[in-house]
Amino acid sequence: MWYEIFKFEIQYRARRTDTYLFFAVMLLCSLIAFNFIFEGQNLGLVKENSPYVIAKIMAVVSGFFMIITSMVMGVPILRDFEYNMESLLFVNPITKRAYLVGRFLGSFVVLVFVFSGLIWGMVLGDFMPWRDANNLLPFNFWHYLQPFLTVVLPTLFYGGSIFFVSGALSRKLIVVYTQGLLFFIVAILSHAIEDPFISAILEPFSYVAIDDVVQFRSFSEQNTLLVPLEGVFFYNRIIWVLVGVLALVKGYYAFNFNVVKEETGLKRKTKQDTRNESHNQIITIPDVTLQHGLRANSIQLRAHSLFYFKSILKEAPFWAIVIGGIVTIFINSINIGTAYGVNSYPTTYLIVEDLQEMSLYFFLIILVFYTGELIWQERGVQINGIHDALPISDFINLAGKFIGLLMTYLLLLLALMLSGIAFQTLNGYYHYDLGVYFTGLFLEILPFLTLFTFITFFFQVISNSKFIAHLLVLGFFILIMVLAVFGLGHGLYKFGGIGLESYSDMNGYGHFLGPYLWYKLYWFAFCVFLFVITVIFNIRGTETGFENRWKLGKQRLTKPLMQLGAAAILVFTLTGGYLFYNTHILNTYYGQNEQEAFRVAYEKTLKEKEYLVQPKIVAVNLKVDLYPKERNYIAEGYYVLENKDNSAIQEIHIQKRLSDLEELAYVKFERGATLNNEYEHFGYLIYELNQPLQPGDSIRMEFKQKAITKGFSENDNKQIVNNGTFFDNNRFPSLGYNRKYELSDDRDRKKYALSPRNNKANRDDAREVVNGRSGDDGSSINFEMIIGTDSSQTAIAPGSLQKEWLEGDRKYFHYKMHQPMINFYAIVSARYEVMQDEWVNPFGPPVALEIYYHKGHEYNLDRMMKSMKRSLHYFSKHFSPYPFQQMRIMEYPRYASFAQSFPNTVPYSEAIGFILDIDDEKDIDIPFFITAHELAHQWWGLQVVAANVQGKQMILQSLAQYGALMVMKHEYGEEQVNRVLAMEGNRYQKGKKSDSKEEMPLALVEDQEYIYYSKGAINMYALQDCLTEDSVNLALRRFIKDWNITDGVLQKERFPTSADLIGYFREVTPDSLQYVITDLFESIE
Amino acid sequence: MSQLIISNISKTYKNGVKALDAISLDVPVGMFGLLGPNGAGKSTLMRTLATLQEADEGTIRLGDLDLLTQKGEVRKRLGYLPQEFGLYPRIPAEVLLDHLAVLKGITNKKERRELVKALLYKTNLYEDRKKRLGGYSGGMKQRFGIAQALLAQPKLLIVDEPTAGLDPVERNRFHNLLSELGNNCIIILSTHIVEDVKELCPNMAIINKGKVLLQGNPLKLIEQMQGKVYKKNIAKNELDHYKQQYRVIADRLLLGKPIIHIYSESTPGNGFIPVEAALDDVYFSQIFGDNL
Repeated sequence: MWYEIFKFEIQYRARRTDTYLFFAVMLLCSLIAFNFIFEGQNLGLVKENSPYVIAKIMAVVSGFFMIITSMVMGVPILRDFEYNMESLLFVNPITKRAYLVGRFLGSFVVLVFVFSGLIWGMVLGDFMPWRDANNLLPFNFWHYLQPFLTVVLPTLFYGGSIFFVSGALSRKLIVVYTQGLLFFIVAILSHAIEDPFISAILEPFSYVAIDDVVQFRSFSEQNTLLVPLEGVFFYNRIIWVLVGVLALVKGYYAFNFNVVKEETGLKRKTKQDTRNESHNQIITIPDVTLQHGLRANSIQLRAHSLFYFKSILKEAPFWAIVIGGIVTIFINSINIGTAYGVNSYPTTYLIVEDLQEMSLYFFLIILVFYTGELIWQERGVQINGIHDALPISDFINLAGKFIGLLMTYLLLLLALMLSGIAFQTLNGYYHYDLGVYFTGLFLEILPFLTLFTFITFFFQVISNSKFIAHLLVLGFFILIMVLAVFGLGHGLYKFGGIGLESYSDMNGYGHFLGPYLWYKLYWFAFCVFLFVITVIFNIRGTETGFENRWKLGKQRLTKPLMQLGAAAILVFTLTGGYLFYNTHILNTYYGQNEQEAFRVAYEKTLKEKEYLVQPKIVAVNLKVDLYPKERNYIAEGYYVLENKDNSAIQEIHIQKRLSDLEELAYVKFERGATLNNEYEHFGYLIYELNQPLQPGDSIRMEFKQKAITKGFSENDNKQIVNNGTFFDNNRFPSLGYNRKYELSDDRDRKKYALSPRNNKANRDDAREVVNGRSGDDGSSINFEMIIGTDSSQTAIAPGSLQKEWLEGDRKYFHYKMHQPMINFYAIVSARYEVMQDEWVNPFGPPVALEIYYHKGHEYNLDRMMKSMKRSLHYFSKHFSPYPFQQMRIMEYPRYASFAQSFPNTVPYSEAIGFILDIDDEKDIDIPFFITAHELAHQWWGLQVVAANVQGKQMILQSLAQYGALMVMKHEYGEEQVNRVLAMEGNRYQKGKKSDSKEEMPLALVEDQEYIYYSKGAINMYALQDCLTEDSVNLALRRFIKDWNITDGVLQKERFPTSADLIGYFREVTPDSLQYVITDLFESIE
Repeated sequence: MSQLIISNISKTYKNGVKALDAISLDVPVGMFGLLGPNGAGKSTLMRTLATLQEADEGTIRLGDLDLLTQKGEVRKRLGYLPQEFGLYPRIPAEVLLDHLAVLKGITNKKERRELVKALLYKTNLYEDRKKRLGGYSGGMKQRFGIAQALLAQPKLLIVDEPTAGLDPVERNRFHNLLSELGNNCIIILSTHIVEDVKELCPNMAIINKGKVLLQGNPLKLIEQMQGKVYKKNIAKNELDHYKQQYRVIADRLLLGKPIIHIYSESTPGNGFIPVEAALDDVYFSQIFGDNL
C-alpha cells in the first residue's frame, strides 16, 4: 500500500517543473560554490578539490539550501490540504502509516535527487575554465560521493524529517520556512558556545565538526585522506539523525488522520443566527458619498497599508522569526568590537554594526517570504474575486502591501534599536548615540530592505508563482555577487549601490554619507520605475496570459502612473549622470581589469630601471597645507638629494604617487634639469640634470604637490578626512622604480605571463641589502615641516614643535627634528584632546609624553601613558638611549586598525585600544602591549633599519614583540605574558594553516605575520628563558650599537640581516646551547 | 437610469473551450436572472461583467461607460459577489467590511460607520459583527458577501450563484435580502436553480454552451408555453422510445418512477395529461429540447 503512494509521489514530482528547477539551482550553485565559499580564504597548499574542501563546501551548501529542503519536504502533506484534497483522500481505505511513509519516502527520494545536483555541479565546477589545474587534484569520484553520504545525506534526512512533520502538523507553509530558520539560529548559536567540542556537535550542518576532525592534518594528508566519519563529526551526524528520527516518530503519533483540523465552534454559531430576524426590514441603507480624489486615495493607501501591517503582525511565524532573531543577536552581542581577544565598550556604532550583521538574515527571510505572502494574500484566502473588483487602483493596492511591509521593517528596526539600548544599559554603558542608531538602522538597513522589497515584488508579480519568485530572488542575489566577482562592482551597475563606510567616533560618517545617499536615490528611482512595471503587470481578475496582462496593463497607464514612471526614469537618469560625472569624469574609474593591465604595463616597461643608481634623500623640508573640510592638501618644499654612489648621476627619476588625487605642480632642480616625459602616464618623470651630480655632492629638489578632492569617486580615500587625517610620506614623490605598483598576486601575474614575484630577496642579495625599508629612497634625513590645518584641529608630524600660530582661520605648526631620522614620517590632523606627562629619564634629558585622543576616549589613556614610561625606561636601559625629546600617540579613525611607529610619533587606531573594556582579571592589557610594541619600534626600525631581504621582519617585528613582552613581564608578571603567548600561539596555528607556502624559519621570514609576530614572540621569549634576559639584552645592545643609523659603524655599507642578529645571539650563547639558536631561528620546529 | 447592453461578447479559453459565443443581452434596471446549467458560461460572463476577465470580442456598455476599457469607472459603482470566495478567517466581520468600505471610496469615517452598521443589520450579522470570519457558517458568509457587494450603492450588482450550497432557510433569507434591493440598480443573478429566477426576476435569459437561448420576462415566457406542455408517468425502459416519438423537454423521477414532460402544439393523447406550464418547462425545453 505505502508503495503505491510512494510511487504516486515520485510520479507526481517527476511531472512538476519545480523539481527540475531545484535540481538546476543546486547544480548551478555548486558549479561556483568553491569560488564563493572560499573567496578570499587562503587554502594554503590544500588543493581546491581535496576531500576536505569538498566536504566543507557540501556542508555549507546543504545548509544554505535548507530552504530547498523545506520547499520539497514541507509540502507533500500540506499540498493535500491546500488543494482541499484531504476529504477525497482520507476516506479512501489507506492507512495513516502507508500515507505518511509513502509520502515521506517519495519526497525524500526526490530530495536526494535534487541535492545530487551538488555532486554533479561540483564535479563540473572543477573543470570550469576559471579554475587553475595546479590547484586541483586528479579527479576522484569517491571524493565527492563520500562527503555526500556522510555530510549531505544526514542533513537532508533530519532537515527533511523536521520539515515534513512540521508541514504535516501545522499545514502552513510559512511554519515550515520558519523551522528552516531555526537551523540557522542553532548554527549561529553553536558558534557562540566556547567549548569547541559542544559547539562542533551542535552545529547542524557539520562544517565546524569537519574542521575539528581534520585540524591536525598536514597539507599532504589533507589532500589525500577523506574526512573520516569519526570523532566529533561522527557524533554530530548521529545526534542530528536522531533528531530527525525523533521528529518522525513524534510526527507520526501527532498526525491526525482526519479531515477537519480544528473547526472552532462553527456549529454553535450556525444555530445562533436565527435571532432578530425581524428588524432588518426596518433598516434603510444610508446614503454615502463616494470619494475618489487624491485625498480619498491617500486615506485608502493608509488604511490598506495598516491592514497588511496588522495582518503580518498577526502571524505566529513572524513572531517566531523576530524572537529567534533577537535572541540570536543578544547572544552574539556578548562579544563585540573584539581586538586581540578583548571586547570593546558597547559603543553605539559597534552595537549597530552587530545588529546589522546579525539581523540581515532574519530580515531577508521576512522580506522574501512575506512579500510572497502579501502578494498572494487575497488569492490565498480566495477573497480575490471581491478584492479585485474594488475600485482601488492597482497602484494603491500594491503600494499598500509594500508600505505594510515597510511598516513591519520599521517596527522591527525600532525593536532592534530598543534591544541595542537595553544591551548597552545592561552593560552599564549610557552614551546612547541616537544619530548612529538612526543612520545605521534607518539609512542603512531600511533602504537596503526597501530596494530588495521592490525586487521581490517585481518577481512575485511578474512570475506569478510564489515558488518561482523565491528562486528568482535567490538567483538575483547570486547574480549580484557573480557580477561583483567579475569586476562589475561599480555602484552604477551593482544593485543597491555602494555600502556606507563604517562610523567612526572621530570622523562620524565623514564625507561618505553623501555619495552613499546619492547611490541610494539612483537605485530607488530605478526601483520606482520597476514598481510601475509591476503595477502594470499586476494580476487582477482571472487573466494570467501575458498578452492579456499587457492589454489590461495599458488600461492602467493612467496619467499619474505614467508621470510617476517618467519621473522615476528622469531621477534615475539624472542621478546616474551625476554619479557618473563624479566617479568617471571628475575622477577616473579603473575597473579591476584596467587596474591590472596598468600595473602589468608599469612593470613591463619600467622594471629594468629598478636598480638604476639614484641619489638618496638626506633632508626633507616641506610646508603642508591641510584643508580637512575640503579634504585637500598642498605640499610645497624641497628634498635634498645626495649622491652616495661613487659615480656621477645624470638622470633623476621621480615617481609621482599613482593616484587621481595627487598632482605634481612642479619639480625644480638646483642648477636646472630637463624633463623627459616619455613615461609620464606612469607618473614616472625623468629629469636630466644640466650638471651631473658628482659622488658626495648634493642637490635641492624643489616641488609642489597638490591634492584636490573633486566630487567623489568610487573608492574615496580614507586617509584625508574631515577629522582624523593620517597619511605618510608614501603620498609624496619618491625616487626611482617603485615595486609596490607591481601586480602582487602570483595567480594574477601568471594570467599576464609575469613570473612569480619574489616577495623578499635572498639574504645575500647584494642589491637589496643596501635597501632599508622596501624600495627606500632615503637614508637618514634631516626633517623639518610646517603643517597648516583648520584652526579647530591640531596637526602633528615628527620632531619638536618649534612654533605654533594662527593665521586667519588656520593654525600652523612648525616641527623640526634635531636628530637624523629615517625617511618615514606621518602627518596627522584632528580635533584632539591631549593628555600630557613626562618621563623622567635617568639616562638623559626628560622626554615629554603626549597622547592626542578623541574626546570621550579616555578609558585607557593611563594604560598607554604608563606603557610609554615603562617602555622608554626598559628600552633605554637595556638597548640604547632614546634619541628624541618627545613621544606622542595620536588617535586616528577606525578605517584601519593598526598602530604604527614613526620617529617620536605613533598614530594609533581608534579601534584597537582606545575603547577596549579591559578586565584585568582575564584580559590582556592590549593598549599597554600595543604601545610597548610600537615604542620598541623606536629602536627596532627607527634606530636599526633592517635590510630589505628575507628575515627583515624578524629584526623589526620579532624584536619589537620581545621588547613589549619584557615590558609586560616587568609590569604585570608572568601571568599576563602567558596570556599574550597563548594568543600568539593561536594566531600562529591559524596563520600556518592558511599559508600557501611551506613555513619558513624565523630567520628567513618574508611576509608571514604568523611567523614574525606570533612565532617571533614565542621564540624570543623562549630564548630569554633559556639564555636569561640579561644575555639577550646584551646581544641586542651590541647589535644596536654596531648597526644603528646614527653612529653604527657597520651600517655604512649595508643594513643588517637576520644573520647578523643571530650572530650576536650566538655570541652570548654558551656552546652547549648553540643548538637552541638553530632550533628557534634557523629551522622549523 | 442606465442600461447594461452586452453585444456580441465572445470568449475562448486557452484550452479551446468556447465559453461565450457572441452573447448579446439587454439588461434593464431591476433583477435579471441568468439561468443555465453548470458549465454554460454563466460565471465567465459574470466575471467579465465584474471587470475581472477580458472578452475576445464584443462590447459591453453600462450607460455611458465602456465596461471593458473603463474598468476603474465601472468598479466605482459595482457590487460583486463571486460564486466562490473566502474571507480572512482571523478578522472580525465588522473590521473587514469597514476596510472594504474604505477601499470602495467611503472615506468619511462617520458615514462609513453608519453604513457598515446598517448593512450588518440588514444582513442580520450585527450580532456577530465582532466574531472572526473563520467562524462564520456558509449562509452567514454569503450574507457577508452581499453586504460587501452593497457597500457602494452599486448601479451594477453581480451575484454569481449565490444560493448554491445554502439550505432552504438560508436561501429564503437570502432571497428576501435580494428582493429588497432597490429598484434603481441592475442586479444580475446567475443560477442554475429555476426557483431563484422565478421568485426574484422580472427579466431573465437562459444561456447554454456560451449562447443565449432565450431572453424575456419569465411570465411571458411561461405564457407562450401555456397549453403546450403535457406529462405522463412511464416505465424506465420506455424513456428512449418516448424521446424518439415526442419532444421530451424534461424527465425526472417522482417517487422513484420516471415522469416526462413533452412539448406539443396539439393534444398528444396516448395517456398524456396537460399540465400548467412552469418556468422549469421553459428552462428545460431550452436546454434539452433542441430547437423548439
